[in-house]
Amino acid sequence: MLSSHVRNGWYLGAWSDEIGRTLTRRWITDIPVCFYRLPDATVTAVEDRCPHRKYPLSLGHLDDDGTLQCDYHGYRFDAGGVCVGVAEQADLPKATLRRFPLVEKDGAIWIWPGDPELADASLLPDTSWLTDPDWTHVHGVVPLKARHLLLVENLLDLTHETFLHPTSIGNAAVAATPIDVTVDGDRVAFSRRMTGIEAPPFYEKSCGLTSPVDRWQDGEFYPPGIFILHIRVAATGTEEPEGFHMKVLYGMTPGLGNETHDFYALARDYLIDDEELTEFQHKQQLAVMQEDVDALEAQELMYATDPGGTVESSIRSDLAALRGRRALAKMLAHEQRGNVSA
Amino acid sequence: MTSPSPAALDALPLGTAAASTTPAPRETEYDGTVTVVSRQTAADGVTSLVLARHDGVPLPRWQPGAHIDVVLPTGTVRQYSLCGPTAVTDCWRIAVLREPDGRGGSRWVHDNVREGSELRIRGPRNNFPLRQARRYLFVAGGIGITPLLPMIAEADAAGADWSLLYGGRSRTSMAFLSELEGYGERVTVRPQDEYGLLDLAGHLGEPAPSTLVYCCGPAGLIDAVEAHCATWPAGSLNVERFAAAPGQHSGDGEGDEPFEVELRSTGVTLTVQPGQSVLRAVEAAGAQVMSSCEEGICGSCETAVLAGEIDHRDSLLTDDERAAGDTMLICVSRARGGRLVLDL
Repeated sequence: MLSSHVRNGWYLGAWSDEIGRTLTRRWITDIPVCFYRLPDATVTAVEDRCPHRKYPLSLGHLDDDGTLQCDYHGYRFDAGGVCVGVAEQADLPKATLRRFPLVEKDGAIWIWPGDPELADASLLPDTSWLTDPDWTHVHGVVPLKARHLLLVENLLDLTHETFLHPTSIGNAAVAATPIDVTVDGDRVAFSRRMTGIEAPPFYEKSCGLTSPVDRWQDGEFYPPGIFILHIRVAATGTEEPEGFHMKVLYGMTPGLGNETHDFYALARDYLIDDEELTEFQHKQQLAVMQEDVDALEAQELMYATDPGGTVESSIRSDLAALRGRRALAKMLAHEQRGNVSA
Repeated sequence: MTSPSPAALDALPLGTAAASTTPAPRETEYDGTVTVVSRQTAADGVTSLVLARHDGVPLPRWQPGAHIDVVLPTGTVRQYSLCGPTAVTDCWRIAVLREPDGRGGSRWVHDNVREGSELRIRGPRNNFPLRQARRYLFVAGGIGITPLLPMIAEADAAGADWSLLYGGRSRTSMAFLSELEGYGERVTVRPQDEYGLLDLAGHLGEPAPSTLVYCCGPAGLIDAVEAHCATWPAGSLNVERFAAAPGQHSGDGEGDEPFEVELRSTGVTLTVQPGQSVLRAVEAAGAQVMSSCEEGICGSCETAVLAGEIDHRDSLLTDDERAAGDTMLICVSRARGGRLVLDL
């Protein structure tokens, strides 16, 4: 199946704490993937189709020794994904499961759904702050019924905060402050420095700040699927490295068709033992994400039903998003021309 | 320091910077008419206008670097930087240089606007915000002093270390010199007829940490400052071009040369005139091309270039994509040589 998704790239496949000794199915770039852990706790991801008659392996079960059994006709696969027996006959059928390159680090499981030869762990961004003892974070995943690109563009153009999130993280200063956009290879970065602005309600509450404040947003998009936002909020005039630091990670992972897994992690480096604050921030994060989900799903319908050939209007604040879009289009074209995608 | 003369501005010194001491209010835009409450000659060919709402309602707050649109009766829109004190909200000051060779906007203002005139304006908007720093180096050329005046006031009020290098054709053509006198040695005034070209190397020196450079003036000055700041950390240099900037607008064709464009599919060759975009020229020749923003942002009109050297003026392409020289946004970009062959 020719997918419209880039596959040669790292995607957040699951949070480490989601995957255990049970079988977890998740569509990733139109591929059904079955995640599980072996007895030594290493994580494995295989294509969730039995090579026999395509039955989902995730509907089967995992033995204590790490053998995966398809519960349709009893094909059994060892830790390496090689068929080690079936119920009906003594001879071994020739069957091997497709296994995906994985990297588990900092509490996240990263998956490379494309050509395994190209999987390079050094392409993963630094996420050490997810497990750094000086930081604390919350994480999860939100289902999104909208295409991956809409989420990418949502995060690369935070001007939308002013209009979509006016009661939490957005105010007029966001839309009024232009961004600097830089491109380094495929990576797209933007920077917005708001100085002497009114404190948005979320930061007022979660940092105890009153206006005026300085607010910095430095976003990094690692195509195809990773976005990290570095946030600094401080009383106006406070110099680095003082002030409040937060980081938001989004794993934007295409699912089946125009559905996307919206993985998030929200981290901070202050009051890290304040559980009430953690809970407040988590609630707020989910509320903000719900506003995005509602908007992107409304937008998805409009894109899905738009007759071809109509042109969008774009403005200067779209630059980072447009560059992200181009980076993805280039990766996809390269991948499909080289016929290296699965 | 000498204050500007209109009474409304006398009340507060230019150094009273709102942002550093009081909460910044929500930034809103005004779109409506204002009355010209004062018109003064600020220098040879420069008139300064103080604008206020005729109903006396305060105008929106603004930050240094902000500009307003002046909508001329012809529908033409011109941008002028706000150059009064940010703390004053019942009136705004702009300064307009008469540009005899311009497109007519500044001539219209000079010839038609009097005290009591009404002007349609929109704004403020800020594409040139002053970021926080310990040290600032300001460089102004001619009328480019206008956005820098409130920046200097704010930097000075915040106790920052700053200096201004201000050039112009001659002393009499340089606006607001008397207002700058009060800053003493921080300001270096260098009219060209007395000193020649600005000593940018001496003013800018070597890259220094926590130092931001702000420059506004003619394209040649900005280009020179950009060259001097090439080795500075990214983001150190902040510029505002008051002429249509290369790389931002198709412009009005001033300074552009005609060139030829060949369309590969038909072999037709057409001439693109100064002031005309490649997009318009190929459309006039009957070619169907997608386009949208016509500002070099959206990429709808991206066209493969088969031969010829491109003068890229868009905002979207990356340096690598530009260097490859095989694609261009035909709504704004032009030919560097005399001819382009397009895959159209």
